[in-house]
Amino acid sequence: MIEVRGVRCVRCILSAAFPGLTFDADGVCSVCRDTTVETRLDEAITRASKQVHELFAKRHQPYDAIVCNSGGKDSSYTLALAVQKYGLRVLSFTLDNGFLAPVAAENIRRVTDVLGVEQLTYRPSMSFFRKVIRATATLPIYREQTLTRISAGCNACISLVNTMALRIAIEKNIPCILAGFTLGQIPANAIVFRNHFRFLADSRKESLARLTEAVGEEVDAYYNLPDALLDRVESYPHNVNLLCLEELSEDAIIERVSRLGWRKPEGVDGCSSNCELNTFNNYVHERRFGFSPYELELSILIRKGLMSRTEGLAKIGDNPVERLTEFAAGLGFSPDEHRELGLTPR
Amino acid sequence: MNLEETVRVSLLGFVTQSFNVAAAKIDMNKSLIDQGIIDSFGLVEIATFIEQEFRIVVKESDMTREAFGSMNKMAHFISGRMEKSA
Repeated sequence: MIEVRGVRCVRCILSAAFPGLTFDADGVCSVCRDTTVETRLDEAITRASKQVHELFAKRHQPYDAIVCNSGGKDSSYTLALAVQKYGLRVLSFTLDNGFLAPVAAENIRRVTDVLGVEQLTYRPSMSFFRKVIRATATLPIYREQTLTRISAGCNACISLVNTMALRIAIEKNIPCILAGFTLGQIPANAIVFRNHFRFLADSRKESLARLTEAVGEEVDAYYNLPDALLDRVESYPHNVNLLCLEELSEDAIIERVSRLGWRKPEGVDGCSSNCELNTFNNYVHERRFGFSPYELELSILIRKGLMSRTEGLAKIGDNPVERLTEFAAGLGFSPDEHRELGLTPR
Repeated sequence: MNLEETVRVSLLGFVTQSFNVAAAKIDMNKSLIDQGIIDSFGLVEIATFIEQEFRIVVKESDMTREAFGSMNKMAHFISGRMEKSA
């Protein structure tokens, strides 16, 4: 288990190291004490639900939506919701980052086959991707404030997924981009939002400049979209996170995707059901900040009664740390860099 | 307090509460992104808050640095739009 520093809330699992938290004399954190948070969540979900029904009321050709499908349980279930609950014609899109668990790759094939969905897989240059992850593990690419819900490595990977999905959506005139994020992984007001690439460009500029400095000019080709493409956009696609509208426990999601042939992969940590790199990214995050990047997400599930505190603790404690050196070697870290990361090189 | 000032106070309350930052630490004339207070999701959150709280529609053409480039710019944009629709 990766040891997280300091105390945790006695009701949820948020650590004292989590930014902006205070604790009362009984050890209850300020998020658990603030009852208005839940009210705002409910309002946001109601609003997003209305938006979703409006967005899906009209059908489009060739696709109603592109679904970012990692092969994990959440995106597999999002794909099922899109097809079976909302009746959408979808294109499933996977970014193969080279660290997909073998069973996750099989899950993508099985679930898309059962649902009768077309699948598009994109694999970036592995030498580029490894450089990106090495940079996020060793340099302050992103500001601390933006890393409360996600590790830097996952942020870099998901930004790549989002950019590629938006490129495909614009090229194919697809109006919606669906992803399997849950509340806590994203803010409540971002369940549905218009992906205005140029408007949001300011928020990426600083981190992309740092990434370019560390990795090289090829960052631009992967993380930006050409002006010629953006100039032809009349209306940007909406990003929609359908899972945020479902009140389901993790076990219930697994039970439902299992009916589609989905199987739980081995060798991944308790917070991932598809990516082996997650363990490494979590390790780097916890070492740097003193809390797990999954604490906020799990604390919301605990407050909503969809997970027990014991289960939440077990999930963030379930890390195949014995594989960290293997992952670091696979990413191309030198022996000195292993030691800087607190790992012993082979 | 005029409308723009009222809007500014409400917006400041949302930003301080949502992004765990003290009001005194916010430069009202600088971009919240440049100050490291928000990321892209933060921009999305603020745009949604503006639509809900002030009952105005934020169009794609409104999504510019001119309208969202600082707390003061946002307050000016919102109050201007509210006065137009009044």
